Amino acid sequence: MTYKVEEIDTKRIVHLNGEIDMEVADKARQTILPLIEAGHEVHLNLSKVEYMDSSGISVLIESKKLSEQKNTKFELVEISKPVEKVLAMARKFL
Amino acid sequence: MSELAHTNHTEKKDFLVRSSSLKDVRSFCREVFEKLHIDQNLKDELVLAIAEAAQNIVKHAYKDSPNTEDKMVVQISCKDNKLQIGFYDMGTPVDPGKVKHREIDNVKPGGLGTFFIQQIMDAVEFKDGKKPWINHLVLTKQL
Repeated sequence: MTYKVEEIDTKRIVHLNGEIDMEVADKARQTILPLIEAGHEVHLNLSKVEYMDSSGISVLIESKKLSEQKNTKFELVEISKPVEKVLAMARKFL
Repeated sequence: MSELAHTNHTEKKDFLVRSSSLKDVRSFCREVFEKLHIDQNLKDELVLAIAEAAQNIVKHAYKDSPNTEDKMVVQISCKDNKLQIGFYDMGTPVDPGKVKHREIDNVKPGGLGTFFIQQIMDAVEFKDGKKPWINHLVLTKQL
């Protein structure tokens, strides 16, 4: 997995690329959570994510919960088809 | 139903029980499903279920041995329209009664993997592991 963070004023757009599984979930977590912790509005672009499993979904849930605690925004802005499918499955459960 | 309906096929491969092996597990599955002409949609779902099961071995059966040199085996068999995926490991014995996804009103990240497996597969069964194996998980899907 690779990532890029774009800064637009106080907003941070995080672009993740590749496959997000247990092996790299911590890297994704360590990229996103500190931005939210710092009070930034975080937009997550997942258009180039080819695979995501429950570990990746966990990062999204943690990010959303932290943003609620910090009274800031965490949004998914673009989602690839594989991620969309996994999210749809997860939504049945969340 | 895919062309797989006419194909009887078995392949297995071992992997070090590490999170870094999960990518290889997925590649192996994709290669086998490619040979079996499983359509993309089902292939993606099956790869996810298998990867989640392999992840559970790393995460739970080897929770206390992150640097193990043990290997797990993934076996994919297709016979008479039935796909069977076997997982063998030598980790901590799994208590099947404790393998469940979390309650629906408990919005925490954990347990989703097991939920995905149950959503995708028709049956999830723990069998007695025959030596040298401790755990033997079988996932089944009718095609």
